[in-house]
Amino acid sequence: MKNIFYKAATLCCVLALSSCTSRKNVKVTPPDGTLDKCSLRFSWWGGDDRHEATLKAVKLWNNRHPEIRIVPEYGGWDGWTEKVAAQVKSGTEPDVMQINYDWIITLSPDGSGFYDLEKLNSFLDLSYFDKNIVSFGRVKGKMNAAAVSLSGRSFFYNSRVYDSLGADYPQTWSDLTALGSSFGSADMYPIDLDIQSGGTAWYLAVVYMQQKTGREFITDDGQLGFTYEDICSALRFYKELEDSHVIRTVRSRTDEDGNAALYQSSEFISGRVAGVLEWGSAIGKYESVLPEGVLEAGPLLSDENGNCSGWMIKPSLMYAISGHTEHPDEAAAFMDFLLNDEECAELLGTTRGIPASSKAETALEKKGCISGLAKKSTDILNAADTVTISPYMELPRMKSFYNAAIESVSYGTADIDEAAKQMYDSINEYLEKIRK
Amino acid sequence: MKTRIYRNPVGVSKYTGLALISPFIIGAVLFIIYPFIASFITGFTSDGISVENFRNIISDGRIKASAAVTLKYTIILVPLKLAVSLGVAFLLNMELKGIGIYRTAFYIPSILGANLAVIIMWQYLFTSGGLVNQLLEKAGLFPVSWYGDPDAALFIIVLLRLWEFGSAMVIFLAALRDIPRELYDAAKVDGCGRLRCFFSVTIPQIKNIIFINLILQTIAAMQEFSAPYMITNGGPLGSTRTVGMLIYEEMFIYGDEGTANAVSWLLFVFIAAVIFLMYRLTGISGRKQK
Repeated sequence: MKNIFYKAATLCCVLALSSCTSRKNVKVTPPDGTLDKCSLRFSWWGGDDRHEATLKAVKLWNNRHPEIRIVPEYGGWDGWTEKVAAQVKSGTEPDVMQINYDWIITLSPDGSGFYDLEKLNSFLDLSYFDKNIVSFGRVKGKMNAAAVSLSGRSFFYNSRVYDSLGADYPQTWSDLTALGSSFGSADMYPIDLDIQSGGTAWYLAVVYMQQKTGREFITDDGQLGFTYEDICSALRFYKELEDSHVIRTVRSRTDEDGNAALYQSSEFISGRVAGVLEWGSAIGKYESVLPEGVLEAGPLLSDENGNCSGWMIKPSLMYAISGHTEHPDEAAAFMDFLLNDEECAELLGTTRGIPASSKAETALEKKGCISGLAKKSTDILNAADTVTISPYMELPRMKSFYNAAIESVSYGTADIDEAAKQMYDSINEYLEKIRK
Repeated sequence: MKTRIYRNPVGVSKYTGLALISPFIIGAVLFIIYPFIASFITGFTSDGISVENFRNIISDGRIKASAAVTLKYTIILVPLKLAVSLGVAFLLNMELKGIGIYRTAFYIPSILGANLAVIIMWQYLFTSGGLVNQLLEKAGLFPVSWYGDPDAALFIIVLLRLWEFGSAMVIFLAALRDIPRELYDAAKVDGCGRLRCFFSVTIPQIKNIIFINLILQTIAAMQEFSAPYMITNGGPLGSTRTVGMLIYEEMFIYGDEGTANAVSWLLFVFIAAVIFLMYRLTGISGRKQK
């Protein structure tokens, strides 16, 4: 009995040691140029509209290619990052995945976490994409992911509330600050900014400072572009919004909404909070909780001279293939179907934003499917002098630095200079560590 | 006197017992022992085998803050929970009509955990316009910033776990029912009142069970994750970020396996030390007294 126990313990140690050391040796199956019979797992997150449309697209594929069966795996955003991260670390991720822009850094820091799409060009055609858009998916020279669509954050307003207060949508930063007094007298707020998963509080402060200084917050190669003084000014701008009743303080927001997202909060649904800064590709969930047509897209804020630069865009979503899928050709063919197929594009509509593939976009335009707030938001951003968000800006650890600074300034537990210093040092230290 | 010798039935090998318990052994190896060892090794892995993760933890202010939150939470929750569960168990030990219904009703919250329905209920109760603040205002008191105030936020988490006192209560109830009635009768003959009976008969009779509950509740409180994750997400100002939440964030949000596993091991060692201290300080060994 003792002998068996010792053997079992030894086996456990060996297994544990081997799993800890062999994780990086991922076996890559080379493409063979043929489509064989197989089953592929495909995962995505989203709301009900995206789920329904994607399931229809999967059904279309399964009808066309009964030999390559697609098994869908889908759910809401909350907890999805953690789920996929755990799958990738344990080597159990799906063959084809919808991923977020910053995941190419967190899940594939050396470019080997996902399959190199350039090796799969016999089945995946990226010629319908703008060269700049294609480059978003490159990590250390390897094409890790393909952008589904481009998106940026812009303002959306509750038109009914604005009309009732006789307020116009703000055009400039000073217009926005001035709205605080008229909304404040009615105990309402013209917009909302958060420090939860959205992190719009720091996002808007960054846009403001980028427009003012012409400097990028974080560069593409992961360098901090802002100076310590820039961060101080950005935090001061945020505090000014709170003090002038443009946004709720972190404390009152937490008290009123608890841990709920804004679109689930009674403050937004009732109209007390009458605006939101959101991705054009994700505005549907806010639209659906208000009466039809009430939510409207507003202009991007500019300075007094009409300078509207500094607003940001990024690939709103990307598709990637598992680095160790056993069926790379079949996965590439399915990804091509999702990105470029006209019939598939019609089924998916704008549930992932306006397609980045010109072929899919043309198919949607022909059918008159590109409309609504997502289209308006894209048009507004296209007309502006936008910059591309560095994927480093959206890393979870970076977000924790921004949110900690905003929270401490809002609660008054640190003064602006102190919070800015802490944030500046933390960002520099972290970026230096991950660039190695 | 002749001693009867029991033999194995014919054809049953010495490995039969082992085979019968093998499902448990396989489960334990796969889901407890293997992760336990793997976690230990990963804790010492950071660009090769090193103590780097442990060194970083010691200098990291967030981990100290989380440890402080966890200790504060444990010190507030555990005595409260033991007192409430013992009190309710004492009441439910009385012979009342329909006592089974009361026992079930008090036990139900503990099987709910921190699930979505409970979280929504907590939001309705404790957000600024929630039921609790409405009642406070009606009573002429000031509303409380439950979610926004760092101390109050920890309190609503304590309250959730306090509400879920069922499992501790069931253990107390079983112990109370095992106390012989004769002891109470004898105490009454000696002139003891109810309070004296409780402290001189009940408490000494169930002191081992109190100790077991103390250990179980302390371990559960120190490992707390789901309630702060679901209700406050660790905020405001990190006032509800327990060590359990920190491990989760490091592992699944920031993808830092080494730090997550190193913190897990430190938590394990700390809990083991606390339990050891409890044994030494109380003098209860868990062995049967002769």
